[in-house]
This record gives sequence, structure tokens and C-alpha cells, in this order.
Amino acid sequence: MTATAANEIRPRRAGPAALLRRYAGLFRVQLAMSALTAMQYRADFVVKGLIAILWMGVTLVPVLVVFGVRKSVAGWSFPESLVVVAWFTLLRAVLEGAVSPSLTAVVEHVRHGTLDFVLLKPADAQFLVSTAKIEPWHLVDVVGALALFAYAFGKIGRWPSLLNLGTGVAFLGLAIIILYSIWILVVSASFWVIKVDNLSYLFGSLFDAARWPITVFRGALRVVFTFVFPIALLTTYPAMALLGRLDLKTALAALGGGLAFAAIARRVWRRALALYTSASS
Amino acid sequence: MSENAMIDVRTLSKTYRVHKRAPGLGAALRSVLRRKYEVVKAVEELSFQIADGERVGFLGPNGAGKTTTLKVLAGLLHPTSGSVRVGSYVPHERDPRFLQLITLVMGQKQQLLWDLPPSETYAMNRAIYDIPRAQADETVRTLVELLEIGDLVNKPTRQLSLGERMKCELVAALLHRPRVLFLDEPTIGLDVSMQAKMRDFIRDYNERFGAAVLLTSHYMDDVVALCPRVVVIDHGRLIYDGDLRELARRVRPDKRMTLRLSRPVDRADLEKLGTVVSADAAQAVLSVPHARLSTVVQGALSALPIVDLTIEEAPLEEVMRELFGAREKEARQVSRAHG
Repeated sequence: MTATAANEIRPRRAGPAALLRRYAGLFRVQLAMSALTAMQYRADFVVKGLIAILWMGVTLVPVLVVFGVRKSVAGWSFPESLVVVAWFTLLRAVLEGAVSPSLTAVVEHVRHGTLDFVLLKPADAQFLVSTAKIEPWHLVDVVGALALFAYAFGKIGRWPSLLNLGTGVAFLGLAIIILYSIWILVVSASFWVIKVDNLSYLFGSLFDAARWPITVFRGALRVVFTFVFPIALLTTYPAMALLGRLDLKTALAALGGGLAFAAIARRVWRRALALYTSASS
Repeated sequence: MSENAMIDVRTLSKTYRVHKRAPGLGAALRSVLRRKYEVVKAVEELSFQIADGERVGFLGPNGAGKTTTLKVLAGLLHPTSGSVRVGSYVPHERDPRFLQLITLVMGQKQQLLWDLPPSETYAMNRAIYDIPRAQADETVRTLVELLEIGDLVNKPTRQLSLGERMKCELVAALLHRPRVLFLDEPTIGLDVSMQAKMRDFIRDYNERFGAAVLLTSHYMDDVVALCPRVVVIDHGRLIYDGDLRELARRVRPDKRMTLRLSRPVDRADLEKLGTVVSADAAQAVLSVPHARLSTVVQGALSALPIVDLTIEEAPLEEVMRELFGAREKEARQVSRAHG
């Protein structure tokens, strides 16, 4: 090997397209690592898949119980509520499969001082930590959610229009961004308080509320779940979009709110990073 | 030299604000309401330069500020005051080109993915550092050969021994062929032969790539073998910067003379020659001032039944102990005088 200097390795490519290509490539590699890790433990893979199916059943129980005694809840019929549950299941799959594992790992990094290695790499630190760990068995949840959608719309007897479907998918993207942003805020907190187990537990509990349509909640709770911890944006609005019950103004406002949320989260993360002083060795 | 220095540190200071409280529950409760902070000076007015391709040992007792300095140099910590430059970059700005230029190896921490073979970590670093595949493959091949790790890179990291892991760790840290190596205790926990191999490797890499090396280690053998020059700090301040042998001479002007004897001799006869460090029937070790060395050697050869005679510098461990021990004593005296 010839003695080439590191900074001569390759001229840095600039431009958004090249940047996008580079990060898409990085994302692919991170995905491959996660898949390889998952396959190291085959039994684990099967057990976790089975547990995912079990949890999906558990998610349905409260809805089945409530609709066992009533025809509708806060203006939502049984199959309509199932659409909300399906969204909830889908989002939980994304959250537990792709968002939480990586960000939980950040907390560990901070505690052990190994975040240093992430910060030493010539790539965006937020990107690296956010895509570090993906648990592929949550695909089971995704399949379950799709089945639930199919069953619910079969019961309603009317399928969503292409426009409704498009809005629904756009909202899925938005919901993921919001969830991710909330998690980044939680993780940023770990730079200050080191141990955030309780915060992530609180986050999980709040997220559980998203299985219900927002109209179920009244007064202060509804305000909190719409603006502070916006579960309305996560499951109710997407469900309404699919059912063709969401008006354009609400949709646009939701979109703007979601993006603003993401921007704030990014700022807080950068602030937290600047404050970070790694654990002494 | 400061014009074309690879690493340029000028009056660097780094202070931490740490929360301080007395022991006990009462004090803990009080500290929740009103916190007392104390400013700890980890590094104070530190200046030194390192040229391209130079190997420098960075020495000091625990808590002297070595790791803090390395972290500032690697861009992980912001300096409180003073300036730091590596290549043409200011480290804490974390310019991607700067990060391509350096590596930081921490003997007590690791970046290898625990559940996967090291080769997968290399694949990931290749993507992160944007290294062409052919070049990365070649680098891995060369480093694997130099470190004699062969197939180990394809075994899951969790199944490797500490020494094997450290070697694989080095490959991950050097994959992008950095020009500046910050090595913080790279041989910690390794057995003696592994340490020796590691040292050979570091020298080899330095010579092959002309990389600058700044090394901290508690094993003085590492420093003696690798670093012609040392920078010594204590309590965050520079106390010596220069030739390693000169430091040894200055702190311990005495030479170490070892005599192998054909029959036992009187201790009094040995004491005439110099300070007796140790003596038994077959061997005696004396400490002899540098200036008197030739007289003492002549005297010993004519007066004693000598089979073999060797003269060495005092071991660096002793030099360091004496250096820091003396400073401790000095500090205590000063504080007593002020108290």
C-alpha cells in the first residue's frame, strides 16, 4: 500500500444530490448491520416475532371490550376505531422497530462515554445514532396492521379513495417524524440527566393513549394530546384521512406543526451535543 | 518548527464546573436545593508543538489532564481558552476533513460492534469515511498482516480475547489511514509480548505513513520504545518537553551499574564505589553519579572479582516516580508554608 494521506483519499463531493446518495448508502450499510445482528440470534428472532403477534392481540382487547357493550364511542363506530388501532399498530412497529432501539443505544453511549466514537466520525452524528439499530422482527406488526386495515374497511364496506390513501401515507411520514422528534428530545435530555429510563417509560405510557381516537379525551387531556404530546397527529388524523373525514385546513396545519416540531428537536439535539462532555475514562 | 507543526497547542486551558457536596444525606438534600459548584482546572496554559511524522510520549500521573488534552485535540471537548490547531483545522469545529485526518484510540473503550465480526465494523467505517472499496480492502489486508490477526476479523467480537479485540480495534481506527494518531493507553490490559507487538506495529505505521503519534501510557516500556521525545504534564501544567534521555539524566543524574561477581564481597567495598541499590552473593546494583562513572568503573574492575559489568540509565518508572514524588513534596511544603 502506498503512503497516501488520509485527506487525499477522495475529493469531497458536494451538492445535495451527492449528499443524499452518500447518506442513502450509509443507511443501507446500517440496515445491513442490523439485519446481520438480528440473524446472529435466530431463536431470538422467532421468539420476538411471536411476542409481536401476542402484543397485537393485547392491543385489540380494550377496543373489543368497549365495543362489546356500545355501538359507538365519541362518534367512532367499531370498524372506524379499528382503523385507529391499525395506525397505532403500524406506528408502534416503526417506533419499536426502528426508532427506540437506536435512541436507547444513545443513552448507553452517553453513560459509557462511547458516544466519542460517533462524534469522531466524519458524518452527521444525529444520523449515525438514529439509524444504528433496527429490529426487523417488528415487520410482523406491519403485516398485522395491514390485515387490520383490510378487515376494518371490509366491515365498513367502502374502500379509501386514492386521495385519501395518499393523505394517509403522507400522515404516516409525518407521524414518524413527530415520534422520532419526541424521542430525540428525550435522548437530548440524557446529556443533562444521564439516566432517562423513566422518561422513556413515560413516553411509552403516553404513546399507548394513541390507540384511542382523540375525541375520546375531553378537556385538558385533549389539549395535551393535540398540542403537547400530539397523539392526535399520530393516529387520529391519519385514520380520519383514510376515512375521508379530514379537511384540508387541519391537514396543512398538522403538517406545518409536525415539521416545526422536527426543527425544534434538531436544534435541541445540537445544543445538547455542544454541552456534551464525555464521561471521564 | 511551529510554522509547519502538525499539532499546535498554545496556552490551552480547560476547566470543568463540577457540582460539589459534603458526604451524607443532609448535605445531599441541601445540594438539591442549592448547588455548590467548583471549578476544576484540568489543563492550564499548556503549549507544545508536534511535527509531522513525530512520535511523542505524553506523560503524567493520573488526573494530570492527559485524556482531557487528547479529547480537546480530537475535537471532543471545547477548549476554555487558548488555541489548538491540528493540520490546518480547529478541532472542535469538527470539520469532516479534520475527522478524516485523525484517529483516537482509547484503550478502555471500543467501537467494534459487539455481536458482529470486526470485519463488519470495517465495512461500516469504510462507508462512513467514504473510502473506495479497493483501498479499504488493501488497508485491512496490510494491517491484518502487520498485526498477525488473520481470520480473527471474521469471528464475532464478543468471542475475542482482550488482546485480540484491541488489535482488531486498531484496524478499525486506522482504516482511513489517519495522519495523526492520538493513542490513549493503547496497550492497557495486554500481556508483555502483546504490548511489544503493539509497539512494533505503531512504529511501523508511523514510519510507513509518516503519521504523527501522540501516546499516553502507564507502561514506560511503551514510551521508551516508541517516543524519542516526551511532553510531561502534572496538575494540567507542562513540566517538561524534550528528549526522553535528557529528562532521565536531569531527574536521575546517576547511572545504574550492575556487577556480576564470581564470589561474595563486603558491602563496605561496594559502598566505596557508589550507593548500593541491591546486593547479594552473585550480583550487586549500584547507583553512580554520571561524572564519576569512569573512575568508579576502573576502581571496580581492579578491586572486585567481576565477571560482567553493565551500565544503564535509571528505569523510566523510577524517573517518573521521583519526578512526581518530588513535586508532591514541594506542593505540600508550599501549602504548609502558606497555611
